[in-house]
Amino acid sequence: MGNEWFAWGWLAAIAAVFLSAIVWLSPRVSERYVHVHVWLLLLPGAAALSGWIGAGGVDIGPWRFDAVSWLSAVYISLLSWAIQRFSTRYLHGDRRYRLYFSLLTWTSFAASLTWAAGDLRLIAVCWGLPLVGLVALTALKKEWEPAQFVARQMGMLFLASWIAVALTVVWLGVRVGEWTLVSALSAERLARLALWERTVMNGLLMLAAVIPAGQWPFHRWLMESVVTPTPVSAVMHAGLVNAGGLLLWRFSPLFSETWAHVVLFLIAFASILIGTGVSFVHVDYKRQLVGSTMAQMGVMLVQCALGAYGAAVVHLVLHGLFKATLFLQSGSVVSRVGRAGLRKTGSAWPGGIILGVLLGWAFWQAAPHEPARLLSALLLAASATVAWGRLTDFREGRWLGFAVVVALALVSETVRHQFMVLLHNGMPSAFLPPASFEWLVFALFVAAALVAVWIANRRSSMLAIHLYMWLVHLGEPRPAATEAHPRYLASYLKEGMAHE
Amino acid sequence: MSRTVVSIERSSSTKKGGARPLAVMVSEAAKVIAPLWPISAFIARHPWMGMEDKSFVDAADRLQEAYGLDLYPPMAVFHAALSKGEIDVSFIERRLQRWLDDEPLPAPRHEAERLCRALLWNDAVPEEALQMPKLIELAAAMPLRSVSIRTGSVRLGLEKRLDQQMIKWCKLFYDRGEAVWALPHREHGFYGSWRRLAPLDPSLSKEERKRLFDWPHHPEEALQRALEQLGVQDEEAVAYLEAHLLALPGWAGMMVWQSRRAGDEIGGLINYLAVRLSLEWVFTAPHLPLKEEENGDDRAVGPLLAAWIHWGGMTLDDWRRLSFEDRQARLVFADRFWRIGRRHLWLEAWEDTYEAKLKEAVLTRQPEEPKEQAAAQLLFCIDVRSEPFRRHVEAVGPFETYGCAGFFGLPIQTRVLDGDDAHPSCPAIVAPQHEINETASPEMAAPYRRRRDLFRFVGQTFKKIKQHMLAGLLLPEMSGPWLGLHTIARSAAPAWAGQVIHQAEMSAQQKPKTTLSLDCQGHDETTGLPIGLTKEEQVQYVKQLLVNIGLTSSFAPLVVVCGHESETTNNPYASALDCGACGGAAGAFNARVFAALANLPHVRDGLAREGIVIPDETVFVAAEHITTVDELRWVEVPPLSEAAEAAFRQLKQALGEASRRANAERMAKLPHVGQTPRDPVAEAQRRAVDWSEIRPEWGLARNAAFLIGCRKLTKGKDLNGRVFLHSYDWREDPTGEALAGIIAGPATVGQWINLQYYASTVAPHHYGSGDKTTQTVTGSIGVMQGNGSDLLAGLPWQSVAASDRELFHAPLRLLVIIEAPSYYIEQLLDRNEEFRRKVQNGWLRLASIDPASGAWVNWEAGRLASMQQR
Repeated sequence: MGNEWFAWGWLAAIAAVFLSAIVWLSPRVSERYVHVHVWLLLLPGAAALSGWIGAGGVDIGPWRFDAVSWLSAVYISLLSWAIQRFSTRYLHGDRRYRLYFSLLTWTSFAASLTWAAGDLRLIAVCWGLPLVGLVALTALKKEWEPAQFVARQMGMLFLASWIAVALTVVWLGVRVGEWTLVSALSAERLARLALWERTVMNGLLMLAAVIPAGQWPFHRWLMESVVTPTPVSAVMHAGLVNAGGLLLWRFSPLFSETWAHVVLFLIAFASILIGTGVSFVHVDYKRQLVGSTMAQMGVMLVQCALGAYGAAVVHLVLHGLFKATLFLQSGSVVSRVGRAGLRKTGSAWPGGIILGVLLGWAFWQAAPHEPARLLSALLLAASATVAWGRLTDFREGRWLGFAVVVALALVSETVRHQFMVLLHNGMPSAFLPPASFEWLVFALFVAAALVAVWIANRRSSMLAIHLYMWLVHLGEPRPAATEAHPRYLASYLKEGMAHE
Repeated sequence: MSRTVVSIERSSSTKKGGARPLAVMVSEAAKVIAPLWPISAFIARHPWMGMEDKSFVDAADRLQEAYGLDLYPPMAVFHAALSKGEIDVSFIERRLQRWLDDEPLPAPRHEAERLCRALLWNDAVPEEALQMPKLIELAAAMPLRSVSIRTGSVRLGLEKRLDQQMIKWCKLFYDRGEAVWALPHREHGFYGSWRRLAPLDPSLSKEERKRLFDWPHHPEEALQRALEQLGVQDEEAVAYLEAHLLALPGWAGMMVWQSRRAGDEIGGLINYLAVRLSLEWVFTAPHLPLKEEENGDDRAVGPLLAAWIHWGGMTLDDWRRLSFEDRQARLVFADRFWRIGRRHLWLEAWEDTYEAKLKEAVLTRQPEEPKEQAAAQLLFCIDVRSEPFRRHVEAVGPFETYGCAGFFGLPIQTRVLDGDDAHPSCPAIVAPQHEINETASPEMAAPYRRRRDLFRFVGQTFKKIKQHMLAGLLLPEMSGPWLGLHTIARSAAPAWAGQVIHQAEMSAQQKPKTTLSLDCQGHDETTGLPIGLTKEEQVQYVKQLLVNIGLTSSFAPLVVVCGHESETTNNPYASALDCGACGGAAGAFNARVFAALANLPHVRDGLAREGIVIPDETVFVAAEHITTVDELRWVEVPPLSEAAEAAFRQLKQALGEASRRANAERMAKLPHVGQTPRDPVAEAQRRAVDWSEIRPEWGLARNAAFLIGCRKLTKGKDLNGRVFLHSYDWREDPTGEALAGIIAGPATVGQWINLQYYASTVAPHHYGSGDKTTQTVTGSIGVMQGNGSDLLAGLPWQSVAASDRELFHAPLRLLVIIEAPSYYIEQLLDRNEEFRRKVQNGWLRLASIDPASGAWVNWEAGRLASMQQR
């Protein structure tokens, strides 16, 4: 009984935040109120944290709280607070200053509700709400044509995703005669579905997940999303793109067919290659970040495809922090005159690959229970090799530097591990991939890396140039999503600059 | 002005003989754009450098008419200034009268005057006048031909696609190492790499790619062929090329900068234009040749005619009775006055109002204070941000201040300790003559390098992992917790976390004791410049500056040479807030060089021989004015004499109060979330380190005047941080050489800055760089808007506007005021043709103060003309 209070408390906190976002829109409320509003955003996070510790799993009405609900609630609250706190000064003076806060609040906390929904119908509704918020945020600069164009494109794709979720969920509910998430997804109920029904539903779920994750072939909207102001990009890349991973996890008992996992893997793998390639050939900083997001979401979905939902959730949280920071910091990438240059002073240090292989092998041995551990071991080995290679870049202070990097990485690994432990029991997967699948994934990644090395050494070959031009093309916006000069500013001037 | 009608059509007339070489046409067309420097050393430059041979009004008219670019603020901006009391109505009337006196009028004066006055004050012709019967009919009978220049791609609506292609190729080509995988074939030049890659570009259709099959491989041939294929006649080619350059003036300007450095400016532009016109041809080929463009009613004649009828006091019958030529002349007159003339008068009235206020402030005599021997003399940059700080420093103690260009007259390029590149640390118009290196002994440098490289090792590892195909995928796990911690700290306590991070960065880069290569030491390998200065040069540079600013006697025991630098976080425009006279970088290095030179015993001896005796107890100290927080930071303090030590202590003590006052003044001008914060110093400190701060300081916004004269004129007067102050004593400059030097160097820097702000304010979309929140840094050379745009050249919107509804900068042309007798000014104008042209053509305004009578003399364009005849 007492546990329910934690859930009610959290819902009340969410209501308070929404209310605050509405009150703030009134021009009669002083501008100073923005500080109150922003600090209030931490309230749902605090409530969720106490709920997580104090209550654990709770069901009330159509709501269902488990470790992932609480975790995502804490994460979203913290992130929303940081980004809106950033916006307080960053967006100051914007015509739609107040609306940005209200919509950012709406977008983040509506997402938070989705992962606390325990009723199929509620999930169907909640899935679309943050997407609507994101489209509205993109369209806020209504005088700017590219922003309007991109908002329309996003709107259409997101609608498709929403319809896919709604269709799946209603279909499922009707066929199994049960609207509670857990019961509807129980093995005996799912057994009532015909094979073709499961197949179509798996397809729909996959479609719903890959669209917001900006995966190939639906990556266009993500590539063109650079029109949004930096804080909106931060919310998008740290929050909204992640939704697909959580959706698949929520429906994992249904989303359990091997073919679906293979297809999901292929889409995600293609997206990793394209996203990485785009971030390699493009030169605008924010476009590189977008390319990287596409690839990172690919990683998340590869983990989902391997049934490693815990790893996927940890990845999406850490990627969110990572990418939000990089976006918010995107003004810092211009180097200033008068700084010391970088000179390769040391001699080459062999053994990077050996170190990498040893470390990767050790990790694989040490963590036998971790899903997708082969992939993790591979990536870890690559990271160690690259870090070792930096020893050639410096002379003075390099060993100390290397030690610091190792220490930082160890702490990070501990954090990641702790997260995994926290989620270990909360995220069972109905799909356990055959070892051959995992080895296939491993082999494909290794092959891709070898091809990349091969091409890097033959950059002027016809094949390489073809690939280069394709990657440029895939990352480029359409002409309608660009404008040579932001003409709306001229209209701002013409409309008059009188005080509000 | 004669109206030239330029048509881009292939006319039926046969090609005229004597075609001009392509290079000549390109260099002619290039006058409409200006070079663009990379953002890391932001050079304030004005976009109309090549057009100063035209008058400001005519340049505005041409750009407006041909390319739709407005050089005047819209009326709404004037109305806002009027309501703030920044425009005195009586000046508008005075300007109107003078204008009517000078201009040939197509109608009796009273009619023209009524019309013009009405157009000055009304935004539109009243509806009832437009509804007059027969108006449309009469208007249709009098078409005014449009002279706007429309390229083939614009006429077919393909300009967006063309622009996007150009943006793509330019950014890939100009990338400075941002991309892991760089553009192939870059070594073949811009056109060469495009020519090799475009046939493989999937964004072109199959037919389009096929069209390129036998396209020339040489840029000049390609450009020639494209012009032919597009049907551009020789006589219209320049205008056609101009239109193409103005489509993306930023990228074209980057091309100018890059190729100028390589020593082949025109070659670079031919490359650029060859790609652009080849692509235009590829896109438009199926539609060629284009039909003759309708030259009908492109300009709305109706409102102009209605204005004459409604305000000119005419009836329709009167109108019909006029001859065709008279009617046309009246329409042309009304059209030009509507587009250009009226706003020019408003602008002049705004400038006059400011001038009147400044004049009053400067000419008001203050009670002579008992002259007290100064404890310290401080040399500041002319930068308008020095003015408030100087005022407050002077107010808190016996300190004198001087103003000079912040490179301290040293035409040097600098190479910092372990620096890869030498930075030209002097105004963009000055070519560096010497290189000064910073070096440290190995045992001193080692701990510094260890400390620095420790941080850089981590940074470099992060970067390399990010650029690795496999390792990059694990980077969120490896760095996410740390970056998250960083974000949370910065959000929770922006000022505190910002300080901590800033301190950490500073201590990582804290340099050991270094020495400067002041004496001659051979030549630099890459640029061939001599390293260091000869003994004679050392004396001359110091002497020149001291004479320029009129500090040749009564030296205080302490002379502080202050460079300046801004301190902002997460700001791609950081260098725009640094010292323009130091090539868009911090001024500390130059300050240090100058102070070191002035302390050299043999330099002192040399100066004494030239009549400038600096007492032995006087010590020159280098410092840096941090403009974001109005603080003085010591760069290098040599051993001090007893008197200097006392002065140093006194100054240090007083500076705290000066900072507090200067920051209080600053906070009244900056926009705040909510109300003005209580502690101005803490707020300024926060702004400097807060990563979310969009307006860390106002930079040089609101700059309006450049005063060359004694500090006595302005001392103790609040000039609101709007005036560049250059110290100058005409009595120390019998030949006028020093004045000529100030005009050619610092004043030109001031004019560039002024017009940079002007352009970014009146056309924020074209000459500014748009909203900061939607910018992305590209290729480490500049910024673009959103998904891609022109390489943006000017100041961001947030640097000139307090909000989307309120401008902060007042777009006024620079008023240069010289304190010197009139014959000095006449001599200056006689000798300096370029400066004279600037004044005469209205690219800046000139006034002088007669030292004897204290009279304010206005050197307007008209007066100059009469002087010429004399």
